[in-house]
Amino acid sequence: MIRIPTEFPLLRSLSRAGNWERGYEILILCGPVVIVAIALLGRSLLTTALTAGYVLAFVSYLLWNALGS
Amino acid sequence: MTARLRTLLSDLGRMLQALSGMMFLSVVVGLVWGEYYVVPGFLLSGGLALGIGWSFTRFGERAELGKLHGMMIAASGWLLVALFGSLPFLFVAWTVHLAPSWLAVPASVDTPTLAAFRGPINSVFESMSGFTGTGLTMTTHENELPHALQWWRSFTEWVGGVGVIVLTTAILSRPGSGSLTLYESEARSKKIHPSIVSTVRTIWWIFLLFTFVSISLLWLAGMPVWDAINHGMTGLSTGGFSITDDSIATYQSPLIEFALVPIMILGSIAFPVHYLMLQGDLHNIYRDLQTRWVFIYFSAGSVGLAALLQQYGTYDSLFQSVRFGLFQFVSAASCTGFQTAEIGETWPPLSQLTVAFGMFVGASAGSTVGGIKLIRLLTLGKGTAHRISEIFYPSSAIRRFEIDGRILSAVELAREFEEAAIITLLWLVLLAVGIVGLLLLIPPGFTLENVVFEVASAQGNVGLSTGITGPTMALPAKILLVFNMWVGRLEIIPVLVLLRAVLVRGDRP
Repeated sequence: MIRIPTEFPLLRSLSRAGNWERGYEILILCGPVVIVAIALLGRSLLTTALTAGYVLAFVSYLLWNALGS
Repeated sequence: MTARLRTLLSDLGRMLQALSGMMFLSVVVGLVWGEYYVVPGFLLSGGLALGIGWSFTRFGERAELGKLHGMMIAASGWLLVALFGSLPFLFVAWTVHLAPSWLAVPASVDTPTLAAFRGPINSVFESMSGFTGTGLTMTTHENELPHALQWWRSFTEWVGGVGVIVLTTAILSRPGSGSLTLYESEARSKKIHPSIVSTVRTIWWIFLLFTFVSISLLWLAGMPVWDAINHGMTGLSTGGFSITDDSIATYQSPLIEFALVPIMILGSIAFPVHYLMLQGDLHNIYRDLQTRWVFIYFSAGSVGLAALLQQYGTYDSLFQSVRFGLFQFVSAASCTGFQTAEIGETWPPLSQLTVAFGMFVGASAGSTVGGIKLIRLLTLGKGTAHRISEIFYPSSAIRRFEIDGRILSAVELAREFEEAAIITLLWLVLLAVGIVGLLLLIPPGFTLENVVFEVASAQGNVGLSTGITGPTMALPAKILLVFNMWVGRLEIIPVLVLLRAVLVRGDRP
């Protein structure tokens, strides 16, 4: 089970609001970070890798869940 | 004031307060883009929605809701939100026109596209189109709009995609409140959790996650980041507003088009099924009746449309026919309305009608699409076959009717069949009324296929256009399409219930 570090009040309240799969909650929290990064840094190898990594992480977690169930 | 009206006011007030939150949030977009002249318009809109919402809740009273009031709130709430949601368009357009010196409005933003929103009906049309997830538009050059208004259009579709009503059930919810009635009247009857509040919350989480993934995917496919944000939101919510002049055709990129196809399909699958698949139960792709048929129907429609385009020689190569056939059928059947082809101008009539059929049917109930929904078509088809085959059995025979994994009793079958038949019939009647009305109101030059296409697009909350819709359209034609969009989103019956309640003094049976 993936855990969100809930010692931070904001993360704790977000985590409680979700009450869902931790992996997906982490992806939801990372989503805005990825979008802000590509908006500020533009298209580069780094941002392309970051965004591709985000999409891959989603697909991988989905498949991992499917294999585990 | 009757107790029921007070209950209605209370819930409508909370919807307006939620809407004001959306408007205040959108101020940030104006500030980020340095469009300070949009700030007063958004603040004023938000202030009005908040103030009127507050007064509604003050005079209203929270109470238990019955099915009648659930439907009335759904119908009146959607209308009210669309009316108030038009204010940012109206106020920003007038701000730019009046150009007070202290706001330093750049002359370049005073375009005919923005000026169209000085007409209140154009603003209401745009807002209703957004909140119903339709995508028909009063703008001529979307790229000329201020970024804050581009965002507002996308935001209305994004929120409308899950449903303003579903959003507000989380806000309005209280024990025994009839939230489930609200939920059902917005045609989302499958449950994720036993509690409606946690169900709605989970739907929002899923929607948010899919939005981030969609934006990332579009950006990776080559779309600029602002375009990816907007198209990710409107593609997933199957709304179809674009921020570019020629919708997705602007990019002339097969990669972007192919990236949008799975995003539109995501929006076409029932969210309870998404929930199960995200939990690891991927078998639902073929085990769930509606999801299975989404893929069958989308594939068959795309192949058929591509074959027609190829046969009529609309495009030079087979790849182009497949590319445009796939994208436009998925766009139509998912009720998104993104456009890559000049359907009204260059496509043969049979291809236009194929796309119109896709818009009429839609996809899964429980998703963000419009149309009559696949499940109803399947119920009608299987139910009709069941009734016909009944004649060949002895009267003493006990027969089972199974749909979507459920075995229905004779009474349940009759109820399901009746509901599907009534909605389909009402759908067709209103479609016919809209077609006759629009034929009388549009200038000569448009064909019957064009008119059928346009009305089916509005009522199915799709947004594809043959060119009829635009700011120069006659006022009654705009009102007609606004009505079609409204009844289409709510699947007709709640609107008829509201109209009857208003015309026959509400509560009388």
